Order: sequence, then structure tokens, then C-alpha cells
Amino acid sequence: MMTDTKIGVFLCKCGNEIAPMIDLPRLYSTIQPEADYCEILSYPCLQPGLEKILSAAAANRLNRIIIAGCEGRTMLKKFETALEPIDILKGQIDMVNLRSHVASVSDKSPLEKAGKAAKLILASIAEMRVLKATEQKRADIDGPVVVLGDGISSFPAVQKLTESRIKCILSVPETDPDNIIRNLHLSYPGERSHYDRLKTMIKDTLESEYLTVFEHSRLTALVGVTGNYTLTFTHRNGQNETVKAGAIIAALDAELSPPGPEFGYDGASVLIQSEMEEHISQNGTPKGQVVFWISDYEYGTPEHAGLSAKNAWSMAMHMKACSSETNIMIFHNEKMAVPLTGSERAVNRKAGIAWIPYDNAVRPSVQDGYITFCNLRDHVEHELAWDFLVLSPKRGISGEAKTTARILGLIHRETPFLTGHHAKVRPEMIGREETYLAGSARYPCDLQEALNQGRKAGIRNVEMIDKSKAAQLLVPRIVCVVDPHKCVACGQCQELCDCGGIGIEMSSGGLPRIVDPMLCTGGGTCAAACPYGALVLQNNSTDQKEARIGSLSRQMEPDEVVAMACVWGGLPAADNAHRRKLTYDARTHILGIPCVGQIDPAVMAKAFLEGAPGLLLIGCLPEECHHSYGIDHAWNRVNLIKKLFELCGFDRRRIAIAHADMNKPEEFVKTVDSFNALIAALGPIPKTQANLDNLASIYQLCKYNTRIRTLLSVALRRPWEKTYRGDQRHALEFDRDFTAAIEEEFDFAESALNEPAYYRYA
Amino acid sequence: MITFTINDQKVTAGKGWTVLETAREYGIEIPTLCHHPAVKPSGACRLCMVELKDGDWSKLVASCIYPVAEGINIYTETPRVHNVRRWILEMLLASCPASPEISALAEAHGVISTRFKIHDPSQNCMICGLCQRICEEVVGLSAIAVVDRGVHKKVGSPFMRPTDVCVACGCCLTVCPTGAMQNIFDTVRGEPKMPLTQLAM
Repeated sequence: MMTDTKIGVFLCKCGNEIAPMIDLPRLYSTIQPEADYCEILSYPCLQPGLEKILSAAAANRLNRIIIAGCEGRTMLKKFETALEPIDILKGQIDMVNLRSHVASVSDKSPLEKAGKAAKLILASIAEMRVLKATEQKRADIDGPVVVLGDGISSFPAVQKLTESRIKCILSVPETDPDNIIRNLHLSYPGERSHYDRLKTMIKDTLESEYLTVFEHSRLTALVGVTGNYTLTFTHRNGQNETVKAGAIIAALDAELSPPGPEFGYDGASVLIQSEMEEHISQNGTPKGQVVFWISDYEYGTPEHAGLSAKNAWSMAMHMKACSSETNIMIFHNEKMAVPLTGSERAVNRKAGIAWIPYDNAVRPSVQDGYITFCNLRDHVEHELAWDFLVLSPKRGISGEAKTTARILGLIHRETPFLTGHHAKVRPEMIGREETYLAGSARYPCDLQEALNQGRKAGIRNVEMIDKSKAAQLLVPRIVCVVDPHKCVACGQCQELCDCGGIGIEMSSGGLPRIVDPMLCTGGGTCAAACPYGALVLQNNSTDQKEARIGSLSRQMEPDEVVAMACVWGGLPAADNAHRRKLTYDARTHILGIPCVGQIDPAVMAKAFLEGAPGLLLIGCLPEECHHSYGIDHAWNRVNLIKKLFELCGFDRRRIAIAHADMNKPEEFVKTVDSFNALIAALGPIPKTQANLDNLASIYQLCKYNTRIRTLLSVALRRPWEKTYRGDQRHALEFDRDFTAAIEEEFDFAESALNEPAYYRYA
Repeated sequence: MITFTINDQKVTAGKGWTVLETAREYGIEIPTLCHHPAVKPSGACRLCMVELKDGDWSKLVASCIYPVAEGINIYTETPRVHNVRRWILEMLLASCPASPEISALAEAHGVISTRFKIHDPSQNCMICGLCQRICEEVVGLSAIAVVDRGVHKKVGSPFMRPTDVCVACGCCLTVCPTGAMQNIFDTVRGEPKMPLTQLAM
């Protein structure tokens, strides 16, 4: 259903914050002919103002609303909520911050400020004109939930799901409760007291009529997106079976492994906690002197010392209860706090378990029957006799769990565990939680915590399915979509995105060509990186940004600057500069964007093509991108423009990337002031025919040249790369090759300027 | 439509409007601190007090949360209102003496010193809870909260440590009426890995 675009612009007086500073009647007379409706309101954000907007929108059949007032970061949600009932949805409402970016930042006259405000609003109108608003989609999640992995947390997850009568498929290596419990100490040592209760729970869970169990099967492939997954299992007899599922829960446990011989490990008398427990269950509680060495500090993982100590203590309590001839000591680094509560300490005293701290500076050394350590109090080397020395286990993810995690797309980077929490965005921007992952593979934890995580994953799934059944589960509006006619399945997007949003399509033979809208965070760096322009961030597309920056750039005076500020760094810094009553160069025209990473090089080129003398991209601090390394990716794109500028004889400094900290607006002021001074000194790009041709070629090349766009995407930082772009391998070599390729392609672009269709592979 | 008067001026309001919203619609300014249009009003700071008169009887109400009613008479600039505003500002001067925003507002109302004891000269937070409300209502998270009680009440993250819940959107920073969030912000989101000052060197 195509309807005409009708844009309503509402100018806010904001008491005395905007009205006296900006000549609003003048602004109204500029905007009114360009928009379908325009009105000045005293407070659009309060109930009376909202009611006026609603009635104006209904009377004039408006379907795009621009509110020129204050910061959209805090206020947009209120307008979105208010306008939703009349079908003006997220993406169709835009806010231009007159108060912080125009009214208060300079001492210019109200008339001049009205001019600046008009430029920003007209740019917004231009964007709204090209917006292709999508309809609100609902997510449909039904069908069985697959619970995967050999983690113990799979049972409470299944329990919660089957209690709510949701069909489940459980894939486990073992279904005999006795055997499961028998091997549990290999992942969770020292948890014996919970075993009886757990066994009953596992038995009850497995009896449910809603449960199908796959025993000894391996997950070998996964395609599809949330709500419509197809999983392939390989059974023990080598046969494959595919199942359809609406959701997946991964219950994975970490693997405990022994340290090297430098800790004296021999597997017989010097062993790790899980082996000690095995020893107890096989041969009974050992008699004599048992020393638990909490050796996590020496492994370089002090964060797990508390967990190891707690496990050691509960094992020690069990051993004490079973045998009176066992003497137990827990030997720990002085840096570790004893993880016992007050009442546990009392129990500990009664049981007579000694906690012996040792000096962190001197590493204890293991000898046959003794362990030497430096005493904290007297700095004398003491010796501790042992019959059994029990070390902390080393924790990590095993091959099997790792394979499953990889198939599920849970591994984005090389971290020891699967916590990889990538995106730091508002909850409304993600359709559902990144993964339903439970167990100690997520992060080392004790048995209770693992079971809780399983329960939680189950409950979240039940809630999601209930919501979907009630038709209330909505797909976020600003997510990527793939144009299957343009996509060549090169996989660049999948490598770059670390929200796991790029799914694998069934029909294309397992190639990454679809987006899971429930996982996409709308960062859009993948869309900007697509060599073929096949990936589009819907309701916030590159076309929209081109229109907006194009409109603003056309209106720029020779010394004015377009600044694109990211909503997580530059934009709040600018907003807070107003809060702290700072002033900066009024020639800065700020456009708010969700992330600098989603700015396609074509958008940057468009700014110059339309006449902007300078473009500044203000993003987050390094390593603080809220999406997937947007700031690093923007750096590469800016670099491309700089290289092209050099080829054409333009000053490379006309485009720059900057970092901003929202809590340091005074630094933001320095950033924009210095860039403005630079551009003012450089002056505009002379509008000769040769220059205009060059700018047009640059734009053509950035937008359509698939070779350059592919080279650019390949060079972007991947989530698993550890460092900021500064120390890339073969930096200079790559840069020279890239420059050579650009030179070659630029010559083509120049000669083919009159036939741009040549470059349009689409 | 509901008809009543503000400062003897006849005004009409819709159902569910508050006195403050109606006054602002008619261009009558009432000072506020903890009120922000993005969130529901909470009536915490009491600076927006106005006088509601009925014959020879009158009472003070917080205009940001007081719903309009047919035939009420509201006065925003009576001696009683001015008196209570000055009292509130004087108390605020004592509780958050380090806030330039509060000092400026107090001075604008003719309050330049306070008779109350200043316990902490470096304090600039008035604990209005606006940061908490915006985090909850607009962002949809609970990264920041008002912790402890009574005289120990303060704003912060759980255990005053950086929290994973915070997405560092800076809404709290932008809406804070006293500028106190500047000091609290880094404890909530955590220090940046590469702060700007280091980059400058």
C-alpha cells in the first residue's frame, strides 16, 4: 500500500529556551512552504501539545512528523508512544534539536539562528521524503524449543518449558538419571549435597509428555532465523535427522582440566578437585593429610578462586563428615577473601578446617609430601605436609561444547568463555535476548547458578512464546534486510556483525543471506560494508542519509561544516555542552545518527558532491562502540575518501573522524572548534567543472564500485581482532595496494562518468 | 473541556492534564527541577508549588502532579507561593551547595544564603530521582537507583560499582537538573577504556 508522504513539522517554543533565541515566525515562514503542515507549539512534549499534534496529524493525514525542539535521545520515545495509535511509527518521527544545537550554542542573532535551524529542518524533511516506511511486523514463534548441549542446566530449562505445555526436543548424551548424576562432579565438583534433589528433578523432567529426547546425537547444522530454525542432528548410527524449531536454548558446561606438571600434578596424589571427588566415590574418603590448594591465582585466573575455594570447602565438609581420620587444610593466596558467610565460618571452626593464606609474592613450590610457602606474618618459608594435594581445576570450553557453540553462532571472538556480550544498546532495539545460553560455559559458576540460568532461559522462552501467541511480539523496526536479487552471499556482513543477526538461508545451500530481525541491533555497519548494496537498514537506510546530508550540504555556506554525531558519543556530548552552557562555533551543523559505522562512504562522498566544504564524523571513544566496531569501520571509510581526495588534489583534511566522551562536552567543543577553524582556513572546494566531475566520480566509485567496496569491507576490523586499527599487520603494504586499486578504479570512474549504469551491477 | 482559572485568567484544559501543563500551554511559567516531559511527574522537589484558593480557604499543591478540575482557582505568584519557593531553595542550597544550577536558580528567586546547616559542601545532588525514572521509563533499564535511606540516601549503581546493565546512553546525564550526574556517571557506566585525556597526550 503506497500512500503519499505527508510531512508535519512542529516547532517548539520550549518556554524561554527556544522562543526568544530563535526567530520562530521567520523559521515558520521558511519551513511552511516545504512541509505539508507546520505549526508553532509552546510545548509539544506536554499533554496539551501532544493532543494538538495528534489532531493536526489526523486532520491533515500526516504520516511523517518532525518535531524541532530538544534532544530525541530522551524525548522521541514519548512521541512514538503517543503517535503509535494513529499508525505513525518509529522511523516516521524525527526530532531536530534546536534547543541544544542551535539556540544556546552561540551568541548569534535570532534571525541567524532561524537560518541555521531552517537548514537542519529542511535536511530532515528531505530525509523523510525518501523514507520507505515499512509496516509493523510481528514475530511468530511457535513450534518446539530445542534444548541443546550436555550441560546440566538443560533439565531445568526443559522443566520450565514442559510445565507450560510447550513442546521440547532435548538433545543429551545420556538419559539415565543415575549416570548423569554419577558424572556431574566432572563439571561441578563439591556439590554432592544437591544430588538427591537433582536426581528427582531430572527423572520428573524426562517423563513429560511434551518432551522428545535425542540421545547420543550431535548437532551438525543450523539454518534459519528465530521462529523458523531448521536443525540437523546426526544420530549415533550415522543417520541425519532434521527438525524444525521456533527457538533454541544452549545448555553448555565448561570443562575442567588439570594444570601442567609445574604444579606437581600427577593424577594420583596431586590431583584436581573433580578427580578427588572421583577418588572419593571410588575408594572412599582418603585418610591422612589433605591439602586443597586454591591455585587459580597461579593459573592467572584469580576471578575463579572464590568458586574453587567454595567447592573445596564443601568437599572438605563432606570428607570431614565421612571420616574422622582426615585432616584438611585449604591453602589459598592471601589476595583471596575467604568466601564463607558468618554461619559457615562457625561450622568451619567446629569442623576444624584450617584456611592457610600464603604470600602472593612468593609462589608456593610442590615437593614430594610437602608444599613450601612464605608465611605472611614472619616471612619465613614454611612447609605443609600432605598425603593428597588437591589443585584447582583449569576451566575452559571443551571441543564438543565449542563445536555446538560455533554452529549456533555463539562464538564471535576468542574469549575463554561464551559471555561475549557485544552490543550495548537499549532493550527496545533488540527483539529478543542475544542467546538463550545457560551453564558454566557461559561463565564459570556453581551448580545452583547453572540450574538457575537454565530455569531463567526456560522462563524467558515461555514468555516469548506466550507473547507471540498473543500477537504482541513485535519485530524492531530498524533492522537490516537483504535484497536477495543483489546479494551474492559473499559473507562480509556475517563476518563483521557480532550481534549474530546474519542468518543462514536454507534454500541458498547454507549461505549467509538472511537477517534474523529479532537479533539485529540496527547497528548497520554490515549494511554500509555490503559491496553490492544488497543489505539495507530499513527505516534508516543509506538513501535516507544521503538525502539528508545532501540537502544540508547544498545549503552550506563556504565556511560551514557538516558534523555527523553518533547517538552514543558525539550527540550526547553536544547535548551536554548545552546543559553546561558551553558555546562553540555556530558554523557546525550537527546531524544525529545512530552509529558512525552505518555511514556508507557514498554518504560521505554525497556531502562533498553537494557542496559541503568539510565533514566531521564524531563517534564514541575507541573501543567503546555500542554496536560492532562502528568507529573503527568509519575510520576505514574516511580513509578511502581521503585517498580519493588526494587523487583529485583536494585537501585530505576536509573529512575527519573524531572521538567524543559524552561526559566531557568541553572536549567536544575543542573538537568542533578546531575542525571549523581548519575548514574556514581551507575555504570551499572551488566549483570548477573539473572539480565537480571529480566529486561526481568519487561518489560513483564509493557507491557502485564493487571492487573498491569489497576491498574496503575485507579490511574492516573483525570482532575477533583484538586491537584498534593502529597496529594492523602489513599496514603500509595493504595501504599501498589499496591506494593502487583506488587509482585504477578511479580512472575508470572518470572515463565512465557519463555512463554510471556501467557500474550498477544490480 | 475543563474550565478553571490561573492567576484569575480563564483557562480551559483537557481531561488528564495537570495544572503545570495547562499553565505552560498558556505561557505561564512555573519553576521546576525534577519535572521532565519524557517521564511521568513525581512531585519530588516541590519547587512547582502553587496556591489553590477556594473562597477564604487555600492550600498549596505541587502543580506538576495536581490534576485539573472544574472551577478551581490557581495562583502561581502569591506571597505564600513565593515564600514556600524561597524555603525550598534555601533548603536546596544547604543540601546541594556545590550545584551551580541550584545557586543560579536560588539567586533568581532572591535567595543568596541559607540558614540551614551544610553537611557536605561538595554535594550537588538533590536526590530527585529523575535519573532513575528516565533510566526506567525511557531507556527501559534499571542501571541507576536511589540507594540507602534517610540522611544516607544517595544516587548510584548497585554497590556503587560500574554495572553491565548500563548501556551508557547518557540520558541521566542530560536530564540531571543539578549537574550531579557528571560525577556519578563514570561509576555507573565504568571508566572508558581509552579516555579522551590520554588520547590528547
